[in-house]
Amino acid sequence: MSEAFDRDYTLAELLPERVLESVGPALARLLDADLAVLDAAGNALWGRAPETAARAPLALELEPIGWLAAAVPAESLRAAAALLRQLFLARVRYLMAGSLHKESVAADYAALLEKHAALEASEARYKLLAEELEQRVAAQVELLDTRARQLYQAEKLASVGQLAAGVAHEINNPIGFVRSNISALGRYFDKWRGLKERIGAAAWTELDMDFVLDDCADIVKESLAGIDRVARIVADLKGFSNVDRPDEEFVDLNVNLEEVSGVVRSQLPAGIELKLDLHELPRILCLPGHLNQVLFNVMRNAVQAVQDAGRGGTVTVSSRGDGAGIAIAVADNGVGMAAEQAARVFEPFYTTRIVGQGTGLGMTVAKDIVQAHDGRITISSVPGAGTTVTIFLPT
Amino acid sequence: MPELDADAGRLTFKLVYYGPAQSGKTTNLMRLHDLLAPELKGEMMTLETQGDRTLFFDLLPLGFRSPSGLLVKLRLFTVPGQVAHDGTRKAVLSRSDGVVFVADSQRTEETNNAESFRNLAENSGRVGIDFERLPLVVQFNKRDLPAVVGEDEVRDRWAGASWPLTFTAALTGEGVRETFALLLVAVYRRYGAELELESRHGLGEAAFVAGIMGP
Repeated sequence: MSEAFDRDYTLAELLPERVLESVGPALARLLDADLAVLDAAGNALWGRAPETAARAPLALELEPIGWLAAAVPAESLRAAAALLRQLFLARVRYLMAGSLHKESVAADYAALLEKHAALEASEARYKLLAEELEQRVAAQVELLDTRARQLYQAEKLASVGQLAAGVAHEINNPIGFVRSNISALGRYFDKWRGLKERIGAAAWTELDMDFVLDDCADIVKESLAGIDRVARIVADLKGFSNVDRPDEEFVDLNVNLEEVSGVVRSQLPAGIELKLDLHELPRILCLPGHLNQVLFNVMRNAVQAVQDAGRGGTVTVSSRGDGAGIAIAVADNGVGMAAEQAARVFEPFYTTRIVGQGTGLGMTVAKDIVQAHDGRITISSVPGAGTTVTIFLPT
Repeated sequence: MPELDADAGRLTFKLVYYGPAQSGKTTNLMRLHDLLAPELKGEMMTLETQGDRTLFFDLLPLGFRSPSGLLVKLRLFTVPGQVAHDGTRKAVLSRSDGVVFVADSQRTEETNNAESFRNLAENSGRVGIDFERLPLVVQFNKRDLPAVVGEDEVRDRWAGASWPLTFTAALTGEGVRETFALLLVAVYRRYGAELELESRHGLGEAAFVAGIMGP
């Protein structure tokens, strides 16, 4: 606090030596006597005074901060002291104003720093807010993207469902009477064998009727098998597209796996085998049509991966359930993927296929749907050895 | 905290007249200089002014000796009231032991009073003064002017505060002594026991006040 403007000032501070050196002799000349300026304790700051000298106090505020000593009449001494006092009063005003100015500048500067710090803090807050807003916008955009894909998917499923329902309806009726007609035709062919005795063995042999009728039986049998296959595909398609089902229901996913693999199997290229390794599963509440789409997309990709390898191969679909949930793995021994490719599999519109063959949405949609079921979908792949996609759905 | 210089046998209190611009702080000090008659009374030191506006401060030193021989010295300061001089105001306020807040009673000055009082509280905090415990008297000055806020209204508004209120006309000197006496009482009650004024220096509250006010 020694620098405070309202500190105690000493006479030595107010009347420094250089001031006294010019003021002292002038005063001495005026008084026409030796004089001394003493500090509060009586030590001489300047000059000399005889032992007999009188002392006049030099007061700053209330008490003396020094003395003027000279052997002159009291009145003269007081007058000289008053003169000297005016000198150091001017000096003390100057010092006080100077110190106060310094203090107030420091205070103003401190206030400025405070304000500056507050401004910086608010700037930082705005920056943070801007970043946060950016993140929120990005999140919103992503959400919109997801919603758009889900909408697209839902529309697609709906149109597939309508198509499947229409096809099922249109095909089931004709296929029913075609089947019953061909069954009847088979029975009629059997009756034709009785003609052999009526038209005679010569004509019978000439017409090679034994062979014709045997072949007819085979044709009927094959036709019936074909019709049954068509009927099964129609049934699978119906199941796959979730036609005639409520949106959300408790299902045994193994049934879905069988339906979907039926659809996939119907388009299976030669040399590729689709194997199911299903274990008992807890029933879960889900959107079966949507999950079918997931399973179909993943299985189709697996088949394509094997096809791309240009050799025979196997796609193995397995299911396992425990207390936590259901794990479905689709493993192929196809071409596999490099790590950077595998990392981008779930990106929208990422595809390695030529334009027109893939939209690059299959796995993205699969991930959206699995996540909508609070599940996870992961992919692991070894280039040249194959890929395994694992779907986990919590119960 | 008052400054006790044991070697010099001197106890110094710093008291500050605070308030909005042109509310009469310097006038208070000038009247006190005229009205008080303590054993020791210095000249009033006025630093630079601009017109009649205080730029730095005014200083009035007063003092008396206690029965024990202790020199009790009071240094009365005013602050510059203008908003722009906040740094100076803060520097003058620092280390003060008591404050008279001089408000301008005119209705048109109510906002300035409120702002200045808030500034006093804020600056007290900034210079390390415990505002809650600071001896403080609130003076409503310029009662001699016509368009002033009524006394009842002022009392009503300040009813929740613990500080004594006074109503003065510093120009004529009315209430200036009384305001100062109230501050002296508050200062004595705040520091008297801590400084052992009564027990060690034989200085009771009434003697303390009388010593400074004079006969």
